[in-house]
Amino acid sequence: MKSSRFVIPWILFLSLGGCAPSHITKEEFAPEMYTEKPVSILVLPPINKTTAADAKEYYATTVAEPLTNSGYYVYPMEVVYDILQQEGLFDTETMMNVPPQKFGEYFGADAVLYVTLLEWNTHYFLTSGNVTVKAACELRSTHTGNLIWFYDEAVEVSTTGDTGGAGGIAGLLVQAITTAVKTATQSYIPVARDASAKIFLAMPFGKYHKQFGQDRKSQVEKKENPTQQEKAK
Amino acid sequence: MKTQCIIAFLALAMFAGCATSGKTFYWGEYSSTLYDLKKNPDEKTLEAHKKTLLLIMEESGKREKQVPPGVYAEYGYILLRSGNEADGMEFLDKETSLYPESAIFIQRIKSEYARRIK
Repeated sequence: MKSSRFVIPWILFLSLGGCAPSHITKEEFAPEMYTEKPVSILVLPPINKTTAADAKEYYATTVAEPLTNSGYYVYPMEVVYDILQQEGLFDTETMMNVPPQKFGEYFGADAVLYVTLLEWNTHYFLTSGNVTVKAACELRSTHTGNLIWFYDEAVEVSTTGDTGGAGGIAGLLVQAITTAVKTATQSYIPVARDASAKIFLAMPFGKYHKQFGQDRKSQVEKKENPTQQEKAK
Repeated sequence: MKTQCIIAFLALAMFAGCATSGKTFYWGEYSSTLYDLKKNPDEKTLEAHKKTLLLIMEESGKREKQVPPGVYAEYGYILLRSGNEADGMEFLDKETSLYPESAIFIQRIKSEYARRIK
């Protein structure tokens, strides 16, 4: 009995810790989302800060599903990209210089989402490996131009193989081979999807979500403002 | 035994608190077939993606959910590009009636199309 008295609070503590490392309510974190109540979001092609050239096109395919599921109208990205290309504006780097208000006029969007890919990497060293995807998002209002929400998330999947039960050098050799195979065949896409899912779940819910307007007190992880970080550099 | 039950129950309750409730929209294989289309853009991957879009419309109805934002528009746009103007326009209009916030965007697609076929 004594030991279980100790175990219960410990489990409670652990499970809470698993949900959110440092807490802040959604409303405290992004108050303008609750006053402006954006309905439609235009997602621009991601800015790629990784060395993988194709990462931005692939990452883009993982955004619409979780973002709409958080309750927002999201413009179909394939169509948007085509139109932007016809306007000679495909690179987000060039689009960064276009005021958000312009996208409001041109597409009717309430907000613009800027996605930056920070990691799309495989780390691999003999008997251990992992695949990492890190993305950061910034949402700007097309009415005020203000940054109204931001978030980032990194997801890492281990590709370290197993020894197949063998010990010593033989076990290490087996592990080196299984790690090499697992690392080479691990697809980035499920990792990227997981990162997107986590990012947009942390967003205040929009009009089409059944908890719209009722999630002010939900706890999210407190993130640093990327714009202020840029300024501090 | 009783305490074990309580522990299990508490653990379950905490996890349930973390989990998400039912999804707002049904997206089927959208992300997969779009990825395939991006990776190898050809007739086969385009057909597979069109099929996904049609299936999303069908399944959303069955699950009593709204067709997700952009699905009618994306399908209509693909039809327009392949020269099927009548059906393409119909799907674009479906997008606007379901999501009035798409009106400016849909108008943009239509005027781009009109400019192109001139």
